[in-house]
Amino acid sequence: MVTPGQTAAGYRPAGRGDAGGRAPGPVLRWGMSAHARRLLTLALAGLVVAIITGRGEFAGVAAPAAALLATWRRDRPGSVQVTVTLTATRAVEGEQAAVQVTVEGQGEHSVQAVLHPARTIVPLPGPGGQAAGIANGSQVRLPFAVTRWGRHRVGTLEIILRDRWRLVQGTLVLTLPRLDCYPRPAIQQTRVVLARLPNRLGEHPARVPGEGIEFAGVREYAPGDRQRSINWPATTRRGRLQVNTFAAERSQDVVILMDATPDAGEPGHGAVDHALRGATAAARAYLAARDRVGLITYRYQVRWLVPGLGERQFYRIAEAMLTDQGAWSADTGFSRLPRAALPPGALILVFSALLDHRLVETLRDMRERGFPVLIVDVLTGEPGTGRTRIGRLARRIWRMEQEAIRFSLRELGIPVVHWDGEQSLDLPLAPYVRRPVVARR
Amino acid sequence: MVAAALLGAACVAWAAYPAGATGRSGVTILVLAACCVVAGAARLAATGLAAPQASRSSYESTPLRLWHTASGTLLRVPWAEGALLGALVLEAQHRSRPWHTGLLGAALLGYLIATHLAESAAPRGALRRQLPVLAAGFGLLMLAAGAAFLPSAGTGLSADWLRVAAAVAAVAIGGLVLPR
Repeated sequence: MVTPGQTAAGYRPAGRGDAGGRAPGPVLRWGMSAHARRLLTLALAGLVVAIITGRGEFAGVAAPAAALLATWRRDRPGSVQVTVTLTATRAVEGEQAAVQVTVEGQGEHSVQAVLHPARTIVPLPGPGGQAAGIANGSQVRLPFAVTRWGRHRVGTLEIILRDRWRLVQGTLVLTLPRLDCYPRPAIQQTRVVLARLPNRLGEHPARVPGEGIEFAGVREYAPGDRQRSINWPATTRRGRLQVNTFAAERSQDVVILMDATPDAGEPGHGAVDHALRGATAAARAYLAARDRVGLITYRYQVRWLVPGLGERQFYRIAEAMLTDQGAWSADTGFSRLPRAALPPGALILVFSALLDHRLVETLRDMRERGFPVLIVDVLTGEPGTGRTRIGRLARRIWRMEQEAIRFSLRELGIPVVHWDGEQSLDLPLAPYVRRPVVARR
Repeated sequence: MVAAALLGAACVAWAAYPAGATGRSGVTILVLAACCVVAGAARLAATGLAAPQASRSSYESTPLRLWHTASGTLLRVPWAEGALLGALVLEAQHRSRPWHTGLLGAALLGYLIATHLAESAAPRGALRRQLPVLAAGFGLLMLAAGAAFLPSAGTGLSADWLRVAAAVAAVAIGGLVLPR
């Protein structure tokens, strides 16, 4: 297989005894083209009909096809060098990338590259009226778009070499490498902030005085205060030195809990898709505010990432969403989560459809342990139960059950907001952004 | 693709005219040839739409599975060969009319060339180098249309050898037309 960025230098078709001992690669298969088969059919059919019927004009029908076939030549290139690269190995949903193909050593043969895309890959038309997924030339670019998150193979690339008479055709099929597609983050510009923040420098104004920029009040001067913080109007009124106080700026710990249990809804717009996009948006928003963000994924088992800072943590989280291995810590239950994965006082932001009862019980338990929890409900579909009376009744009972679950969580003090997956996350979170969230036991 | 479909339809219609002179067998062959032309045009149109094998899931619904099977069959069967064989047989069922057959031959060649250009998405001018050869071939076509080319098959050893050659060529055609 030709890996991206590498050249299959000196590649020869299998069976010609490569003395260099290179690993066998894709096979370049030569044969008669479909056009040559059709010409041969026309020539032979014309001759047969001419002989059977005794009518010479049918032999004339065969003459042009026979003349074209008479130009058949057996010259083929000894070796072909193919370089295949992807313009990007990471992309976001809906983003465009391209396959760049360079073929050398084909001689006078024309080159055509055909992209056979995998499931979530959509070929796009190229420049100059080029059809989607097909390009002619020795240096071509085949653009495509990725429609859904995940770790996908782009597909297979078929390279077709044709002689000048288009009677002989060589075909080479290459498997294209994988592409990591991250979920398209939803829009989120505001953040939910806790009332009590740990003693760690950040960007959120806290209720304790400190060295921030947000004005908190005025107090009497104490030795050691800076002269520039003296509030002269207040000093004049009171007759004693008064200084301005500012709120301290702190950061918080945020743990995003993503529910990846049974998917409900259409592929691409289901509960898991919305949960992924919401979690990605939240991770990006909180990491931009210099908060520590961790991730817990629940899919009948629990996997977690320790909270961290910065752009690197964002890519760790994004990578962890795409894979079941590598970035994750060992599978465990919620009761066995280490302190590092679930720091005390951390804001727990849950993206879930609340269809799994074990997760609902776990959230109740977290709340009772004192963790501030906020649930973003991503359930947008209903079960299809048909139009019968019993089906409608079942669907109604199911709706009531879901409402009861949400009601019980709200009674415990867990805010539950609904998000449809399309609009900005700022709208459902707006009531909890205006004032800090207070976690009461 | 449109040119290929129109040429194919024109070839079949030209070979069948007049349809009454060929009888019921001619009508049957006409229908089959027309179906081959339509299927060939559909194949050209569906080349980019059929799902690649690598992406098919094991959990497809029955209608989707039937669609994939039908589209796979559409792509594999050589419809153009069936259309040209049908046109030639239709033409052979009529009494001798050399100029009519000559035009049919030219149209059939145009149909095959248009089909190849459509299925390979070849750029314009891809066949420019073949124009001199095509011109020579059409010259031969006109000569054959204007005069008898082969003696009629009567009795004797030469006629038997001609029949053997015809049988061998028919077998070769069958091998080319059968789908891979």
